[in-house]
Amino acid sequence: MRVIPASIRLSAVGCVTPFGDAAATHEALLRGARALAPVPVQGLEGGDLVPLALLPGRALDETAPPAWLPAIRRLGDGIPGGDWGSPGRPVFVTGSNFGVGGLYALRKSGDPKYAAWGAPPTCTEQLRGALGWGPDVSIVSLACVSSHLGLLEATRLLQAGLAEEALVLSFDFLSPFVAGGFHALKILNGAMPSPYRERSTGSIGLGDGAAFAVLSRSGGPWKLEAQSVYNEMHHFTANRPDGSGFFRCLGPVASAASGRRVWFKGHGTGTLEAGRMEVAAATAAFPGAPIVGWKGSLGHTLGSCGLVELAIAAQSLSTGRVPGTIGGDEPAMSAAIATEDFTASGFDGVVCASNAFGGAHGAFLLSHA
Amino acid sequence: MLERHIQLLVTDDAAGEAPAATRERLKGGFPAGSTRRMTTLGLLVGSALKPLQPGEDDALVYASGYAESCALEGFLDSFPTPSPTLFQTSIHPSAVQQVMIGLQAPVREFLPLSGGRLLAFHALRAALLCPSARSLLCGGEEKGTWLLEHGLASNRTFAFAAALTVESPADWLGTVRLLPAEGPGELGLDGLFDLLHARKPFWGMVAPGWRLELTWR
Repeated sequence: MRVIPASIRLSAVGCVTPFGDAAATHEALLRGARALAPVPVQGLEGGDLVPLALLPGRALDETAPPAWLPAIRRLGDGIPGGDWGSPGRPVFVTGSNFGVGGLYALRKSGDPKYAAWGAPPTCTEQLRGALGWGPDVSIVSLACVSSHLGLLEATRLLQAGLAEEALVLSFDFLSPFVAGGFHALKILNGAMPSPYRERSTGSIGLGDGAAFAVLSRSGGPWKLEAQSVYNEMHHFTANRPDGSGFFRCLGPVASAASGRRVWFKGHGTGTLEAGRMEVAAATAAFPGAPIVGWKGSLGHTLGSCGLVELAIAAQSLSTGRVPGTIGGDEPAMSAAIATEDFTASGFDGVVCASNAFGGAHGAFLLSHA
Repeated sequence: MLERHIQLLVTDDAAGEAPAATRERLKGGFPAGSTRRMTTLGLLVGSALKPLQPGEDDALVYASGYAESCALEGFLDSFPTPSPTLFQTSIHPSAVQQVMIGLQAPVREFLPLSGGRLLAFHALRAALLCPSARSLLCGGEEKGTWLLEHGLASNRTFAFAAALTVESPADWLGTVRLLPAEGPGELGLDGLFDLLHARKPFWGMVAPGWRLELTWR
């Protein structure tokens, strides 16, 4: 059983979504607001309308330099400390899109100005320059659990005494590339997502999002425990139907949470089979824990969802209010699904979980330090 | 200091070999009918990884800077009717998933990395930090076509897989150590591959503040 035994501190977290920073996003979720809106799946080329949550004023089609860069710069301005990317303060960049919007624009237009941000190494190198980081910047990418792995790698480095602090930064911004891909898989359709609700057809939404977390050995207001991952390697786009892979991921977290009262921030994209699997595994591992999912409002921020939703969970712990599951009004898959916001008092922490293509799962326990 | 012993090593340099020839050479190692949708990188990484017999308790670290360049090119070319299959296979780290899903071989820890001039260091550091008794470090690249013209794909095709153990088995091949040190340095994935492929010893800086010692028996 490989789970990081000791806790690590989070000294700062932050995110940016179409609603704004973590505080604005948390407040919008408490209001039940939806950032998702119908957008042509191939942007300027048109196509079916699908639910996407884009940063205000940003079009789906990529620009050069990317239109999302100012948002990343603002996020970077909120990262405390300096000397990031030095041996003592390494950076872990996670995500699943990087510059694929630039690749799409490059192929459509043939204009080489889109190439600079087009691949993970080149995109991250551009970002490194834009944020003034040193060279020690790792890139971790495993679809929608990418952020979890970045946190895990950063934790290991700190616990080995090989760094003072570590920065994990994740970003995913939509483009016709990724919207077209999910649409081709038929899980991004015209319907708004309704996570953890019983309905005839499942659907997801996609969203822009970026986030960071500063991990520290010494101090910080939040504690990260029991980071756990598991990879089923069962199917490219589906989990094991019996949920055993996800349950194996949750096992170490459940052990760490034993005797403590937790709420559960699930993955909750809006697909039916995965939603049922998640709910069954979560209710078995954490009996009585209310389950929430926020992708019905923010859309799925893909490789960054784990970190974006961590920032919102931390905001929930700080403010004492937990936004409920945003989505439609169909019957919930379980009585454990919290459809209204609730108070965080009386809870000892939150289990944050994500799932990904390839049957990859990640989870951890977040609490006040 | 971080240290592991090299228990097993498989390398494949497809330099100068046409992709079709590489596919033909490797397809016999996979179940009939399963290779049609596999990428060249998937075949290469899979062929290197399979002899190591990945187990659920192994930590699996995968490094590729540009990954599935040809699937990526194909997916982009498929617009305005994007291919769902090429979308799936273009997503990092599809090469490893192609073979592991084919084997129905779950693994608790799977750490896929991308990167540039420090990718070899980051991959080695990740593998050496894994708490498992055995880490499998694999990686590779496949040569792109039109993406390569824009500097967005590898100009080489290769793959490797190494089993790294905490304990030294009787038949260990070599040792890899990472040590904090003063000074600049860098080592890309192709540089690491060349060292492994030639079983060449190395003592030198591979990242700012980090030194690699690679020795062979």
